Amino acid sequence: MVVGATLQARIREAGLAYLLLLPSLVFLAAFTYWPILRSIWFSFHDVVLGDSKIIWLGLENYQRLWEDRLFWKAFGNTAFYTIITIPVAITCALLMAVALDSKLRGMAIYRSAFFYPVMIPSVAAGMVWVFLYSASYGPINQGLRLIGLPDTAWLYDSTWALPAIMVMSVWKYSGYFMLILLAALKLVPSDLYEAARLDGVSAWHRLIHITLPLISPTLYFVVIIGLLHSYQIFDYVYVMTHGGPADATNVLTFYIYQNGFQYQDIGYASTLANVLLLFVGGLIAVIATVFGRRIHYLGR
Amino acid sequence: MTSLSSETTSVPVLTGPRPALAALRRGWLHLVLVPIALLWLSPLLWILVTSLKARTEVFDPAAGFWPQALEWGNYPAALSVAPFGTYLVNSILVTGGILVAQLTTITLAAYAFARLNFPGKNLLFTLFLLQIMFPIYATFLTNFVTVRELGILNSLPAMIVPFVASGYGTFMLRQAFRQVPTELADAARLDGCGHFGILWHVYLPLVKPTLIAFGIITVVTHWNDYMWPLLVTNSEGVRTLPIGLGLLAKSDSGADWTRLMAATVVVVSPLLLLFVIFQRRFVDSFMHAGLK
Repeated sequence: MVVGATLQARIREAGLAYLLLLPSLVFLAAFTYWPILRSIWFSFHDVVLGDSKIIWLGLENYQRLWEDRLFWKAFGNTAFYTIITIPVAITCALLMAVALDSKLRGMAIYRSAFFYPVMIPSVAAGMVWVFLYSASYGPINQGLRLIGLPDTAWLYDSTWALPAIMVMSVWKYSGYFMLILLAALKLVPSDLYEAARLDGVSAWHRLIHITLPLISPTLYFVVIIGLLHSYQIFDYVYVMTHGGPADATNVLTFYIYQNGFQYQDIGYASTLANVLLLFVGGLIAVIATVFGRRIHYLGR
Repeated sequence: MTSLSSETTSVPVLTGPRPALAALRRGWLHLVLVPIALLWLSPLLWILVTSLKARTEVFDPAAGFWPQALEWGNYPAALSVAPFGTYLVNSILVTGGILVAQLTTITLAAYAFARLNFPGKNLLFTLFLLQIMFPIYATFLTNFVTVRELGILNSLPAMIVPFVASGYGTFMLRQAFRQVPTELADAARLDGCGHFGILWHVYLPLVKPTLIAFGIITVVTHWNDYMWPLLVTNSEGVRTLPIGLGLLAKSDSGADWTRLMAATVVVVSPLLLLFVIFQRRFVDSFMHAGLK
């Protein structure tokens, strides 16, 4: 009888658990996992937006992708943006965090100055930077003129358009990474620094040999966050350049948008979306294997 | 503890000239930090200054940085071109809807993961966690097809449904729930509380800081959302503030920067004002939300 009662209790507990999970699971299934499965399914078909007819294509979409020069350009741009912007933004964030990790006067003001861009909608940030980058009346060119440098039409120049967006991204996100790193720095015991300082270890070596290893789990976390935020380049490209000039700023998310919404070619756009997921997933896997193992956990 | 404190008191004796040196070092730090902070603040300054300039001043290199006269008229002019009141109401409804829906789903799910035992727990938790890796930017295409089939395109619910479940929020709240001592729940159970009573009277009041932190991050994220609302809306009645701002920029094609910057100030200021007022709360949320 007792065994039966506990079994019944366990079943009731499990039933309650599933009931509590149900609302989340329904939406998780419908708007996260179903779209991914569907996108894999669509990539083997010819699917036109608004047309219920679906034609089996086999690997044709993937073959087309392989030969699509614009895809490779968009892929290259995405990789370039991701691989340069994240380390630069994190380095900036780290330097800011180290500088602010002391009882500095005006600390709150500095912190807010670096963090406020996170609060600004991407569309507003993009617009302001279009203005700042403007060739004739933009403040950046006006400043460069003062020191005798020639004008550059930043966002209309195929060499500079993507780096210009990257500079803006660093401005937008460094503050966020800085806050997370600052929280980690506060946990590093100060007697470690004291001991190193008394032993005559220079500030640079203290940073490299004490600070960095001790906050490496957080750095790792920030890299992942940065990777997920790098998707947001769609907003900037849409607002600032619309992929131009001559596709110099066309990135995968934007190319998916063009194929799916402008050419209504859902099948090919799904193929691109799968490649994007593989790219980001692959980067995360690489980071996890390369850095995941070297992480030091304090006191573990 | 005692050995630690005796150590710290002995440090100043060992290094006599340190306070002066530290002061000097801090002076240098300010010398470096002030220009960088100004550089970071300059786009915001530019928005404010341009929003108060006369239209022609913007294009005149000789006009200088400050406006010759403050053109407050840019603000009503900007607000009259588009129904910003409607945009504001829609932004509040969408962001509020997402916040309420998420707080509900993550509370229920986090309680199940933190305090109940059931088969398949680890697998389901992994599914929740993996959602973090698939943001809307990665799944917008097929999600658009789904929303279209559901017949809710161009409506407020279309902007809410993809964000109702939150793996990240569930994870954060589960960690917080696990910090709550089980004795408290046991005591409440002896007093005749059921699971929902315990959840409501014991757990939720104790994890308020986590709820607030998650709420702030959700509000900042979805108040500023651009891509998804852009894709699923096509009429004035349902657009949100960022979409309205983007449209204004497009229709002006960059010609009228003063009006555009005035509209930008209007769109940006609610969150920035909240940030200035509740600075500590905001900073703490973003600082710690990901680390627990």
